[in-house]
Amino acid sequence: MIVNKQELLAHARIQSQTLELWLEQRWLIPDQATAEMNFSDLDVARACLIRDLKSDFGVNDEGIDVILHLVDQLHGLRRALEQLHKELPARKT
Amino acid sequence: MKNPYEVLGVTPTTSSADIQKAYRQLAKKLHPDLNPGDKAAEDKFKEVAGAYDLLSDADKRKRFDAGEIDASGAERPQQHFYRDFATADNGHPYTDNSGFADFMDSDDALAEFLRRSERARANRRGQDLHYQLPISFAESVTGANKRLTLPDGGTLDVNIPPGLVDGQILRLRGKGAPGAGTGGAGDALIEVEVVPDPRFAREGDDITLELPVSLSEAVLGGRIRVPTPTGDVTMAVPKGSNTGTTLRLKGKGAPRRGGGHGDQFVKLKVVLPKSPDPELEAFVAGWDKGKAFNPREGSTS
Repeated sequence: MIVNKQELLAHARIQSQTLELWLEQRWLIPDQATAEMNFSDLDVARACLIRDLKSDFGVNDEGIDVILHLVDQLHGLRRALEQLHKELPARKT
Repeated sequence: MKNPYEVLGVTPTTSSADIQKAYRQLAKKLHPDLNPGDKAAEDKFKEVAGAYDLLSDADKRKRFDAGEIDASGAERPQQHFYRDFATADNGHPYTDNSGFADFMDSDDALAEFLRRSERARANRRGQDLHYQLPISFAESVTGANKRLTLPDGGTLDVNIPPGLVDGQILRLRGKGAPGAGTGGAGDALIEVEVVPDPRFAREGDDITLELPVSLSEAVLGGRIRVPTPTGDVTMAVPKGSNTGTTLRLKGKGAPRRGGGHGDQFVKLKVVLPKSPDPELEAFVAGWDKGKAFNPREGSTS
């Protein structure tokens, strides 16, 4: 599902100003193929994660940078591991 | 649903600050996105978050303590977690393989597998392509439509939104390298480089400009043309303006977050005629009051 800026703000329960700041930090990279910014489910979920980290956990901006970088690496590793897991049984035979 | 005080491990007399502390302690450990492989974390997190939503709201907490409401209905609405999408097989712009890039470089079987699966994934998403696009300072303020010429000879039309800052990245979905199967094309990631304009300096949403004015314009005042990123405007210089006098052009700055514009500040700089002027010299020589004025008066040096 692709949503526009207003819908993202509603989903993630954040202010427009907050979003601008996150875009500037490159925590979120929306699709700008058209004049309007478009956000995917992934972008929305990522925005919710950043909001949780900031408002619920009290993580500061530097902390968010570090966490997002590590989380992204973790998912890259998880995907590689998943593929390895899929392929291993096939290799035994 | 369980008693929210028990869920957070606090008592009904615990202060709201301590409740927040208890919640943060638990949530940090349980947040599904910080535990991507733990299926049970989501349910536990929901329980804790629901309990906190109830107890962190002073009104709801009071009504719960008075027995007017129970803990049911305190669950958070369905939230999609980042982990549900982040491992998607067709990739996404935040994908980061640097966590095992070193393994891929070596010579063993694991490296071979990683390299091969990276190439041969059936529905592999196309690679993201990175470009740089220089734009003028004026374009960064007003926005622009640019055409980027690609290394392969193709072109890409880029819509630059107004108010961009140097280094910002625009993502054009599906404009990257083509993918395999149903993977879809990657994205074009365009880093915008704002070429500085020697006349203008930007501070947040405001723009400053140093503008030379003649002696007669400074002393007598007048209307002068002032460049702005959106074109020249006419501005009134008040009588008796000095070097350093700063005038404000309201709304002539960069677009402001959430609507509106910043201002442009025009700092005047009085400039004497290029070649010495006998008439001016004669006037100043005969100008007694001018000689009596010491602009360094009161300064220590």
